[in-house]
Amino acid sequence: MSSGSAGTSAPTTETPAGQPVIQRQKRGRGPMIAVIAVVIVVILVVVVGWQAGWFKSSSSSSSGTCVPPSGQTLNGAGSTLVAPLMIAWSLAYSDSTVNYASVGSGAGISDITGKTVDFGASDAPLNPAQRADIPSPGVVTFPESAGAAVPIYNLPGISTTLKFTGQILAEIYLGTMTNWNNSVLQGVNPGVTLPNAAIVVVHRSDGSGTTFVWSSFLSLENATWASTLGHATTINWPVGVGAKGNSGVTTTVKSTADAIGYVDINYALTNGVAFGAVQNPTGNYIVANVTNIESAIKDANPTFPSATGDWYNVSVLNAPGAHDYPLATFTYLFVYKDPGVAYGSSYSQAKAQALVDFLSWIVSATGQSYSAPLYYIPLTSAAVTFDQATIASITYNGATLSACAPS
Amino acid sequence: MMFDRPARRKYFSHGMTILTGLSIVAIMVPLAAVVYQCVVLGGSVFNLDLFIKGLPYPCTPRQGVTCQQGGLAVPIVGTLELIALAALYSVPIGIGAAIFAVEYAGERASARIIGMVADVLAGVPSIVAGAFVYALIIIYDPTIVFSTFSGSIALSVLMVPIVTRTCEEALRTVPNSVREAALALGISRWKTTLRIVLVSALPGIVTGVLLAVARAAGEAAPLLLTLGDGCAHPLQGVTQEGCALPLWIFYGATSPYQNWINLAWGAALLLLLLILVLSIASRLTLDRMARRMRGE
Amino acid sequence: MSPDNPFPPPTSQTLRRVSKWGDRFFLVLVLLATAAVVAVMVALVAVLVYGSREAIESLGLSFLYTRTWNPTGNVYGIVPFAVGTLLTSAIALLIAVPLGLGAAIFLTQQAPGWLRAPVAQLIELLAAIPSIIYGFWGLIVLVPLMRYDVEPLLSKYLGWTGWFGGNPIGLDVLTASLVLSVMAIPTVTAISRDSIAAVPRSQKEAALSIGATDWEVTRRAVLPYARSGIIAGIVLGLGRALGETMAVTLVIGNRNAIPTSLFSQGQTIASLIANDFFEVANPTEVPALLEAGLILLVITLVINIGARLTLARFQAGRGVGAE
Repeated sequence: MSSGSAGTSAPTTETPAGQPVIQRQKRGRGPMIAVIAVVIVVILVVVVGWQAGWFKSSSSSSSGTCVPPSGQTLNGAGSTLVAPLMIAWSLAYSDSTVNYASVGSGAGISDITGKTVDFGASDAPLNPAQRADIPSPGVVTFPESAGAAVPIYNLPGISTTLKFTGQILAEIYLGTMTNWNNSVLQGVNPGVTLPNAAIVVVHRSDGSGTTFVWSSFLSLENATWASTLGHATTINWPVGVGAKGNSGVTTTVKSTADAIGYVDINYALTNGVAFGAVQNPTGNYIVANVTNIESAIKDANPTFPSATGDWYNVSVLNAPGAHDYPLATFTYLFVYKDPGVAYGSSYSQAKAQALVDFLSWIVSATGQSYSAPLYYIPLTSAAVTFDQATIASITYNGATLSACAPS
Repeated sequence: MMFDRPARRKYFSHGMTILTGLSIVAIMVPLAAVVYQCVVLGGSVFNLDLFIKGLPYPCTPRQGVTCQQGGLAVPIVGTLELIALAALYSVPIGIGAAIFAVEYAGERASARIIGMVADVLAGVPSIVAGAFVYALIIIYDPTIVFSTFSGSIALSVLMVPIVTRTCEEALRTVPNSVREAALALGISRWKTTLRIVLVSALPGIVTGVLLAVARAAGEAAPLLLTLGDGCAHPLQGVTQEGCALPLWIFYGATSPYQNWINLAWGAALLLLLLILVLSIASRLTLDRMARRMRGE
Repeated sequence: MSPDNPFPPPTSQTLRRVSKWGDRFFLVLVLLATAAVVAVMVALVAVLVYGSREAIESLGLSFLYTRTWNPTGNVYGIVPFAVGTLLTSAIALLIAVPLGLGAAIFLTQQAPGWLRAPVAQLIELLAAIPSIIYGFWGLIVLVPLMRYDVEPLLSKYLGWTGWFGGNPIGLDVLTASLVLSVMAIPTVTAISRDSIAAVPRSQKEAALSIGATDWEVTRRAVLPYARSGIIAGIVLGLGRALGETMAVTLVIGNRNAIPTSLFSQGQTIASLIANDFFEVANPTEVPALLEAGLILLVITLVINIGARLTLARFQAGRGVGAE
C-alpha cells in the first residue's frame, strides 16, 4: 500500500466488527475550510489595512515652499487638565498623527524622563529632584496654555452657587470639616440651607498637576496643610475617595450625592457640574470664568525663567487683583532640547521636524484659537514670543530645525 | 434517632430542594440584570455608525451643544488585530504542546505535567500577564512597550493554556487504532499526526481556539498595561499604541461624558454578542467532537 | 497497489529516509512548542523578579509588612492591598460557596433532565461575560443600589457588629465583594457539579434504600464522597477572585489604605496595579508594582497548584475523566 495522501482516497480496512478504521474523508471538505480561512484573512487584512491607512495616498501639504514631513506619529502624555484642548489639537492637526495619553501630570513627567513619549505635559513644573532625574541633554519647559482648578460639588437640593474660602477647603480635605451644614461653611453661605449630610471628599488617586495646583493653594491658605501634607503631584490624602484623572473626579462627583472635588474649569462646564466661588486675597468670592482667570494671569505676571531653567516657583495662584480668580495655573510641555541626542538613532530628523512643527502650530494664533471655546486661556503675546524662541532652540544632533510656517 | 418523625424530615428535604432551586434563581439574577442593562442602554447606539465611525470628541449634551455619537470602528479593528496576532502565536504553540503531550508523552508523567502547567497558567491573573509582558518588553525596547504587539503577547499568554488543554482532550478522543492503522500502512509519524489525528480532532481544536478567542476578546486588564491609548486615530502599525473594545469600555465607563458613556454601553453589548456567538459556535463544535467520540 | 494511486510507490529506503527526517523535524517543532509553554510559566516568575529587583533590593522584607503606600516617600508596603484582597475574596466566597454549591446540588440531584443542560450553559455564560462589563454594570447599577437601599439597611440593623461603620457611598469593599462573588460562582458550581456527578450511583441508592430523604442522601451519602473535589472547586474559585481586576477596580473606591469597615474604600493588589501602573508619577513605583504583581502571582500559583493536585487525586481516586 502506498503512503500517499490520506485525503480523499485513503484505503480502508475492515475490522471484524465491520467498522471502517480509517474513515474516508468527506470529499471537498479540506478545500472548503481553506477557502473560508483565506476569505477571513483577506477580510481582516482589508479592514485592518483600511483603518491603518495603508490604502490612502499620501497627502501633500500646501504651505508653500516648506513641505512638512508626512506620516509621522508623535506621542505625548500627561496632564488631564489640558487633555480636552490637546485632543482638539490632535484631531485638528493634520500634518502628523498626534497621540495624546491623558494619564496625569505625574505620569507625563515620568514618561518624558523615561523617554517613552515625544513630549510630556504637566500642570506642575519639574521640581529640583525631577529635573535632576531627566537624562541629558535635558528638557525645555514652556507653557502652551493655562487653566484653573475649581471646586465642584453635588448637592441635589441646592441651586445657588456656594462660596468657599481656602481655609474651608483645606479643612474639608484634611478631614476636620465633615458635614455640609457645619457652622463655618453655613456662615459663609447665609442664604443657603446646607443639608445635614457627610461630605464625600473626592481627590485624585494618580499623580496630578491639578493636585499640585490645589495643594499649593491649600498650603498657602492653611498652615496645618502646609506643614503636614505640603504640595506635590501626589498627596497622602487623609480622607476621601480616589479617582483617576480630571475626568474620573468629575464622574465620581457627578454620580455621588454630597460629594466635593477639584477639576479644571473645562470639565465642570462641559459636564454641567456645579462649582463654587473661591475667596481671593482681596476678600471677594470669585466664580471662575475665562475672563477672571485671564486677568489673574496678567496680574500675577510671573517672570519666566530660561527654557532650561528652574520653573518650580512660577505661580499664578492668589493673584492680587480684586476680581482675579485665585486658582489659576499655567500648563507646561516638556520636550528634549535635542531629540536626536536624547532618543538616539531611531529618532529621525523628519520626526524631530514634525515635532517642532506641531509645537509651533499649537502656540500659533491658529492653535491658540481653540482655547477660549474650550475654556482655556490663550497665551499672551509675550508668552507666545517666549514659546517660539524656546521651540526654535530645539535642535537635532546640534543642527537647528526650522519650523515650517504654521498654516 | 435519625429516622423518627418522617414527615419533618420530608418537609426539611423539600425545603432544601427549594433553597437549592433558589440558588439557581439567585445566580440568574445578575446575569439577567447585566444583559438587560447592556441591551437597553447599548441598543440606543446600535446603528451603522457604531461600526464605521471613529470615536467622537468627548461631550455631554447641554444647552446649545449637541454631541456626536461617533462609533467604535477603531476599538473593533484594534480587537480584531489583537486577536489575530495573539492567535497566530498561541494556536501553533498550544497545538504543538498538546501534540507532544498526547502523541509523544502519552501516559507518561510529562504529559500530566504539561497538562498541569496548562491548567495553572490558565489561572494566572490577567493583570499579572500584562505586568509580565510590560516587564519583559521594557528590557528590550521601551519604545514599543505600549503597542498592539505588546498587547497581543499578553493576550497569547492567556490563550495558550486554553488551546493546549482543549486540544489535548480532543487529541485523546482519537482512538489509538487510527494511529496504529496509519503506522501499519507505513505512513510516517508526523504525517499521521498532522493529517489523520489532527484532522479527526479538528472540532475539538476549533472549540479550543474559539474559547481562547472568547477569553482574549473580553480581557481589559492585561491591555491596560501593554496597549497604550491609540483610540483617537485610526490604528497605525503594530508597534504603535493600539486600541481594543474591552479596554475602551474602561475608558468610556469612567468618563463623565455622556456620548462616551453611551458608546461604552454599545461596546458592552457588542462584546456580549461576540461572546455569545463564540460560545454557541464552540458549543456546536464541542457537540461535533462528542459525536465523533461516540463514533457517529 | 491501490488502483486510486496514480504514482508509483517510492522505494522503501526513500520512504524511511524522508519520514525519518520529517519525523525528527516535526518532533523538534513540537518540543519547541512544549518548551514555550513551560518557558512562559517560568518566565512569568523570572521576569517579574527581574523587573522588581530595585524594589526587592531597596525595600527587602519591609514590603511585606509596611502598611502604607507612598510613592513620594519611597515607602511601599503590600499590607493594605493584601488585606483588601483577602477581605473581598473571603466575602465573595462566603456568598459564592452556598449559592454555587446549592446550584450544583440542585442541578445534579433535583433538576429534571431537560432543565440541566440549559441551566448549566447559562451558568457558563455567566463565567464568559468579561469582567469589565460586570465592573461597568456594578458602577452604574449596583453602586447606587448599595448606597441608597442596601447599605443604609445594613448599617441600621447590623451596625452593632462593628463591620458596617462609616458613611456608605456605595463605592466600597462590600460592593466589590458582591461583584467578585458573581464571578466566582460559575467556577464553584462547575467543579462541584463534576465532583457530585462522579459519586457512584451505588452510594445514592444505598442511602435511598434505607429510607433517606433526598436531602439526607445529598448530605450524608453524596457530599462527603465529593468533598475533596468540592473543596478544590472552592479553592479554584478563590484563585479566580484573588486575581480579578477590572470589576473590582471600578467599584472599590481606590483608597490605598487598610479598610476599617465593609463600607471603607479599599484596594486589592490587582486593582492597585491596574490603577497605578499606567500613570506612575514616581519611577520607583514601577518596580514596587511589579513586586506586588509577583506576590499576587505566587499566591495564585500556590493556590491553583494545590487545588489542581487535590482535584487530580480526587478524580483519579474516583476513576473520572476531566469531563
